[in-house]
This record gives sequence, structure tokens and C-alpha cells, in this order.
Amino acid sequence: MQIRHRLALLIAGSLALGLLVGCSNSPTATTAQETTTTAATGSGTTGTTEPAASEQTEAEKVYAQFDGTTGEARRAALTTAAEEEGELIIYTSMTSGVIDEVVSVFEDTFKIDVSVYRAGSETVLQRVIQEASANFQGNDVVETNAGEMIAVNEQGVLAPYTGEARDKVIPAGLFDGWTATRINLFVPSWNTELVKPGEEPKSWEELADPKWQGKISMELGDSDWMLALWEYWASQGKSDADIEALFRKMASNAKVVKGHTVQSELLGAGQFAVVMSNYSYIVAKAADKGAPVSYEPIVSPAFARPNGIGLMKNAAHPAAALLFTDWLLTEGQQVIADEGLTPSTLSGDPTMEGVEVLPVPIERLMAESAKWNGLYEDILKNSETVGN
Amino acid sequence: MMQRARDAVISMQGSGRRRLPMLPSAQTMITGGVVVIIGYLALVPLFYLLWGTFFDEAGLTLGAFGRAYSDHGIGTLFSNSLRFAGGAALLSLVVGTGLAYLNVRTDVPFKALFFAASMIPLVIPGILYTIAWIFLASAEIGLLNKLVEPVIGTQPFNVFSIWGMIWVEGLHLSPIVFLLMVAAFRSMDPSLEESALMSGAGKLTVFRRITVPLVRPAVVASILIMVVRSIESFEVPALLGLQDGIYVFTSRIYYTLRSYPPDFGAAGALAITLLAIAVVGVFVSQRLGSRGKSFQTVTGKGFRPRPMALGKWRPVAGAGIMLYFLVTVIAPLTVLLYTSLLRFYATPSLAVFKTMTLNNYVEVFHMDSALRALRNSFVLGIGAATIVMLLTAVAAWIVVRSKVRGRGIVDQLAFTPLVIPGIVLGLALSFVYLRFPVPVYGTLLILLIAYITRYMPYGMRYASTSMHQISSELEESAQVCAASWWQSFRRVVVPLLTPGLVGGWIYIMVVSFRELSSSILLYSPGNEVLSILIWEQYENGQFTELAALGVLMVLALVVMVVVAYRLGAKVGLRSE
Repeated sequence: MQIRHRLALLIAGSLALGLLVGCSNSPTATTAQETTTTAATGSGTTGTTEPAASEQTEAEKVYAQFDGTTGEARRAALTTAAEEEGELIIYTSMTSGVIDEVVSVFEDTFKIDVSVYRAGSETVLQRVIQEASANFQGNDVVETNAGEMIAVNEQGVLAPYTGEARDKVIPAGLFDGWTATRINLFVPSWNTELVKPGEEPKSWEELADPKWQGKISMELGDSDWMLALWEYWASQGKSDADIEALFRKMASNAKVVKGHTVQSELLGAGQFAVVMSNYSYIVAKAADKGAPVSYEPIVSPAFARPNGIGLMKNAAHPAAALLFTDWLLTEGQQVIADEGLTPSTLSGDPTMEGVEVLPVPIERLMAESAKWNGLYEDILKNSETVGN
Repeated sequence: MMQRARDAVISMQGSGRRRLPMLPSAQTMITGGVVVIIGYLALVPLFYLLWGTFFDEAGLTLGAFGRAYSDHGIGTLFSNSLRFAGGAALLSLVVGTGLAYLNVRTDVPFKALFFAASMIPLVIPGILYTIAWIFLASAEIGLLNKLVEPVIGTQPFNVFSIWGMIWVEGLHLSPIVFLLMVAAFRSMDPSLEESALMSGAGKLTVFRRITVPLVRPAVVASILIMVVRSIESFEVPALLGLQDGIYVFTSRIYYTLRSYPPDFGAAGALAITLLAIAVVGVFVSQRLGSRGKSFQTVTGKGFRPRPMALGKWRPVAGAGIMLYFLVTVIAPLTVLLYTSLLRFYATPSLAVFKTMTLNNYVEVFHMDSALRALRNSFVLGIGAATIVMLLTAVAAWIVVRSKVRGRGIVDQLAFTPLVIPGIVLGLALSFVYLRFPVPVYGTLLILLIAYITRYMPYGMRYASTSMHQISSELEESAQVCAASWWQSFRRVVVPLLTPGLVGGWIYIMVVSFRELSSSILLYSPGNEVLSILIWEQYENGQFTELAALGVLMVLALVVMVVVAYRLGAKVGLRSE
């Protein structure tokens, strides 16, 4: 009995080890290594997954066929090719309400079946990286936040989009390898029952005023907003020390919450009077349902963080990918605007007139991510006790 | 029940067959197979985690630890985490044990009601449960405060505090303890308590000196799971703690994963602290279990677990339970029900009541893919729960009963997935199965593997806790009667383990409906599960629809638990 037991365990142990080694020898090492290294340096450059520039993938050859084509001729040719493919797979971090509407209008227009994988932007990024490293044909296009799109592009898996629709996008929305489709606007918002008309915050500086003590909410991860406002204040001639002091005062007024949607929900319920930096579309959506929340008149400047779309180099349905991108940057922009988002061509969105919109410096945020995340964390954490 | 086990033993006499000498025995194949599977499931993500933490391009490095622990406030984070986890563990232990004891061992009223009702916190998604408590007990908008203030002149509740965090987390976790302790009490021989009573001990003394020590393995298992779970939880601290400046250990993990690109190395370095706690915990519980016969109450001597008469305390216990449910189940559920009828949340008033509508429920039923997601979640929940309990029943036998050297490692391995962040598990699995020759990636199967891995630690605690209570003499007598190992395992051990196996099965089945962190990376279009839909509603800011979905889930759970309980009770040790 004893010996048999021991034998069993021995067999089991060696089998387990064998399986493990068999399944995950050097490739695990490489990927885990990449992740760690890139994290350490704060830049996503790896290059290991990038195929040699000379080898064009099948999908790239298809994209190349449509280079330089324009207008109705392009649309007609693309539609034929895309409907022949018959399918399109999108990975996106658009909220389901919006993407469902986008897909349903697209499917009504073209004879193409669309499948959608939806997750948070970081998850979308991880999924694309994992699949690319195994050369798995998962998706045809990816649509997500700027930071993640830059990281995806650095993996060398995106084919540049050259369609004429790109020319209509605002300059701050044109990036290497991908193109902005919509813009998230950071604005202060307030509960209209707790903040009377005329008492709304008129400037960002005002939110550092002690009169807001305990009435403001800040979000746990809005370091991108902080950097944008920091750069704006620096351009106005404020010193770094002054700026940091302002942020610390703001934070000492604030209660910290994780999640912009929760913030908006609690704002409507009256848990706090003001949310420092929420996305305008989330507030607009709550207001549409009748919640007593508003962000207008908009505090100027509003900070814009783009979300964009990219074509996959290994797409299984390249014509459909191209057609969808064309469409999303033209007719699709209206669908985006109708859903309360700010389209990247700024068409169809009247609320933006007269408001100064500054881009969130995404590239700088990516390069100095550890620094700004760390500073934001420190400001939130260490100001709290001052306020209490 | 005991009679059946004995019948089985008798019927096995003379049925031992001769085997060909060269073939490995069924015991070797089954135990060996289980060890391989558990080892494989646990080691893949662990290996991925360790590699990412300790290696970079230059080779072995401890840089990730530097990045993870360099924060000068890390001491405060730890102490906050420990206070929170300790408090939540204690609360869930007291509540879960108390309810289980009353339910199984006494003639407390409302029994039928409270098995289902004590499970309700389990099925409500954490985010909903937490927000419901904000609506109930915040200083600014809390309904309970509004109710009580006119009476006592002050607002007694503040959910945004360490106490609020402990309260919400502890209640949300208490069903795990409840299920573990129900199994333990079911398998306990009341004659020991009765002897003590006869010898003149008071009821409280009996509870303290006899009952609690006898179920110590279950208590230790509960504490172990609760502490690790509360330390790694972020939902409650993120919503309730941050407002009061209470940052916990997991807020570090949040920031390391948030940087561009996410620093999995540093997150791994933090997870390794949890791993250390878990390893020590499992070791302690093994040492305790190795005290041999002290907890074995299911022996060759027959017993009929008989509920204790509470006598004049019966109405008091009944009232206590009603109050408990009013506060912890009915109140948050009422808030959810109320919210689910609104277009947006507002504190109750006549004007608000006039706007009530069933639209959110209509929306839920119109949700694309809702039915498919429900079906997938069912398949995965039942599949994961069944496979985990089968695996861990054998594993528990290896750990508790066999004398093989190194058996403790099986216990440790089965427990490690508890500390592996869901996203790391997702990454490890997608890494392996993207390179697997058989298509697993992109199917439901990869989700099943993820769920089995994630819930193996719970299954192991449930199975081994019950195994500690079963005396080896029952198996030995089966073997004396020439039963093979497999026969005695299947016909003696498994039936006696049933209370624990059913408890674990129900737990896994229910919580797998909530699993999000690895599902979200691994699902594919067409393979959505319910938790993905819930998350999407949440992301959409459709809180009122989310509340409607939560109410429907609670209804579904009540039906499910009642059915499972009926089935489980038929095959398990009945107390009535």
C-alpha cells in the first residue's frame, strides 16, 4: 500500500511537471519578461512580436488594394469585398449601450455579421497582446482608449489606416497606426439640487476653495486628468510648486471614489455636491434619465482624451475592417453623437461651441506613467487627513 | 445513513476482485490522476505569476518587490488591511457559525426560510450590495439614518468607515462560513454534548467546551478563507474606505495594474505576500488536523443528530433571527427593489413613488444575449462545482487519510489559486491555450478551466474539513471486508462526506455566477456569461437596471438553493 501510494505521487508529480514544462517553456518566459520589462521602463516597446516590415500579411495586401481610392467608388468596392467576407470581429471598450447601437446601424446598412468582444481598455489591450504573441486571428479591428491604442500600436500589430475619412478627424486625434473615433471630455459636474444656479464652479481653481470642503468627489485613477490640468496651469505661468499645492487643496476638499459611473450615480443621489473630473457623457446620460445632475455651463478648458480605432495586420476580414473604419469615421460619427459621446470629427455636437478643449497629453502620460500615477496617488492619500 | 454505509460494507464482502499484477491499481490511477490535475491547474498560473515577478530580460531580479513595496505608506496599508480583514473575518465567523448552529443543532423557528435567506448576500453582486449599503447607511443620504434620526436625535450609522467596511464585507462573506459550519455541525455526534449536559454543564459551557472545539477544523478553514479573501478584496474598500482616507493593501495592486503598461511584476510581488499568509494558514490547519482522532465524530458508532430544544429561548432566538434578516437581507434587498423601480436613484418621497415603473425589468428581458449568458453561466456553474468537488473529495482523502509523504503539498497546491489575481489567472490561461493544439481558447471550456482553478481552494476547504470528521475506522472495516479502495471510497467515504461536498457545491455554483476578473479576458463573442452582462450594465451607468437584474438573480437563487438543498438533504446526513 505504502509503496503504491508513493509511486502514485511520484508519477503524478513528474506528470504535472512534464505538462507544465511542455506547455510553457520559453514562450512564457518571453511574455512574462516583456510585461515586467515594459512595466519597469514605462514604455511598451518590445519589437519581439513585430513581423519584418518586408513581409506583408494577407490582410495588409487587401488594405493596400484600397489605398488611394476615394468617394463612392471606394465605398462600392469595399462593400462588395466586405460583404463577401460576411463577418467582422470588433474588440472594444465602448460601453455596451453605445456599441450595440453602432453595430445595429452598421448591420442594417451592410450585409455583414458583427461580433463584439467588450471589456475594459486594459483588458482589451492584454487580450490583443496575448493573441498577437501567439499569432492568433482573434479580431479585425480594435477600438479603445488612447493609452492602450498607443501600447497596441507599439506591439507592431496595427496596419495604418489611410482612408480619406481620417482627414476630417481633429488633429489631436491623429496618431501613428490609429485614428480617434470619439473623445471623452473631463469636466466638473454637480448635483443641481445641492448647487444652486449661479453657484456652480466657474473655474478649476475654484474647486480648491475650502468652501467645497467635503462636498467634492475625486476618482481614484484620474492621473490623466491631473496631468492635463497640470500642463494647462503651467502654460498659464503657474509654478510646479503652486500647481501641486492647488491639487493638494483640491484633494483635501474631496472624498475619493473608484469608478466614474458610481460617482455619477452617487452624485445624483446627493451623496456629494460636485464631482471633480467625470466624463461629460456619463453625466449627460444620467441627466437624460432625469437625475438632478449637470456639467453645463462647462468649466473651461475641458480636457479631451481620445479613443481610437486601428486595423489589425492579421485580420481575417480585412475589407470589412476597412469598411467599418470608414463608416465609423463618417456616418458612424452621428450614431456616436446621438449616444451622447463626443465624436472625433466634432460633427453633430452643438454643446461644444465656445468651449476651449485641450487634449490630454497621452504620449507624455505613457512615457512618465509611473511618475504621474505615483504623484496622483500621493496627493489623494496624503491630502485626505488634512481635510479631516 | 450510517446504516447505509454499513450495508455497503457488508455487501462488499467477498466482492474484491483479483487484478492483473502489472496494471496500476484503481487507487493509484485515481489519486495519481487527481494530483496531476490539481498540480497542473495550480502550477500554470503560479508559474506565470512567479516568473513575471522574479525574472526580467536580465534574469533573476527583485526589482518588482522594490516597485511594489517602496511606498513609504506601505505600513499603514498593511495595518488597514489587517484591521479590515480581521474584523470582516471575525464578523462573518460569528454570524455564519451562529446561524449554522441554530439551523442544524437547535429547534429554532423559521428554518426553511433561513437556509435560502442566509445565502442571499452571496448572489447579490458585490458592487450592488455595497451601493445598497451606501443608500442605507451613509451620513448624507442613508435611509436608516433618516429613519432613526427623529427618534434618537443623531445619525448613528456611517458606512464610510472601517466599521462600515467590516460590516458590509463580513456580511457578504458570511455564507461561506455558514455553509462550512452547516456541514460540520451536521456531521457532529450530539451524544458528546448530551453527555456534557448530563454531567451538569450549562448550555453555554457545552457550546464553548464541546461544540466549538469539535468543529475546529471548519473554524480554521473559515478563518483562512475569510482573511485571505478580505485582504485581497477591493470592491468594498474602494467604495467605502477611500472616502474616509482608508487605503488598503489592494489599492497598491490597483495602481500597479493601472500604470501603462500594467506592472504585473509588482502586482505579483504583492500577491506573494498573500501567498505567504495562505501557505502558513494551510500549514497551521494541517497541523491541527494531524491531531488525529480529536475531530472524528463520524465513527462506527451510529448517531442520530437530534436538534436541541431551545425551550424558553426559542422565541428569543426566533426574534433574533428575524431582526438579523431584517437588517442584513431585507433592508438591502428592499433598497434594490426600490431602486429597480426608478429611472434614477433618489431618496424616497411621494413624488418619487409616482414615477415608479417596471421599465428596468422590461429592459433586462430585452437584453441581447441575456438568455444565452444565463445558460452559459448555468453550464459553467454546475460544471465547475461538480468537477471541483469530485477532485477535492479525492484530494482531501489523500491529504487527510493517506500516509504518503508530501501529501501536504497537495493541500497547499489546491489552495494557491486563492491568492492569484483573477487577471493573472486569465493571462496565464490564455497564454497556454493560445498555443494548445486542441481548440480550447475561444470556447466555453477555457472558462470552465478558469472557474475550476479559481474555486478549487474553496472546494478543498469544504472537502477536507468534512474529511477530518470522518473516522478512518469506517474505511478500515470496509477494507477488512475486502472492499477495494475505490469501492470503499465511493460507497463509504463519499456518502459520509456529502454534507461538506454539497455545501461546497452550492457555494461554487452560486459564486461562479459572479466571477468576472478572469471571465472578462477569456470569454469570446457568443460565450458571454451573466457576470459580463452585469459588468456592462454597471459600466453603462444603468444602475437601476442593474438593481433589477440583481433582484431577478436573488429570485433565481432562492429557487435554485431550495432545489439544491432538497436534493442535498436527501442524500446527506439529515438532522431532522
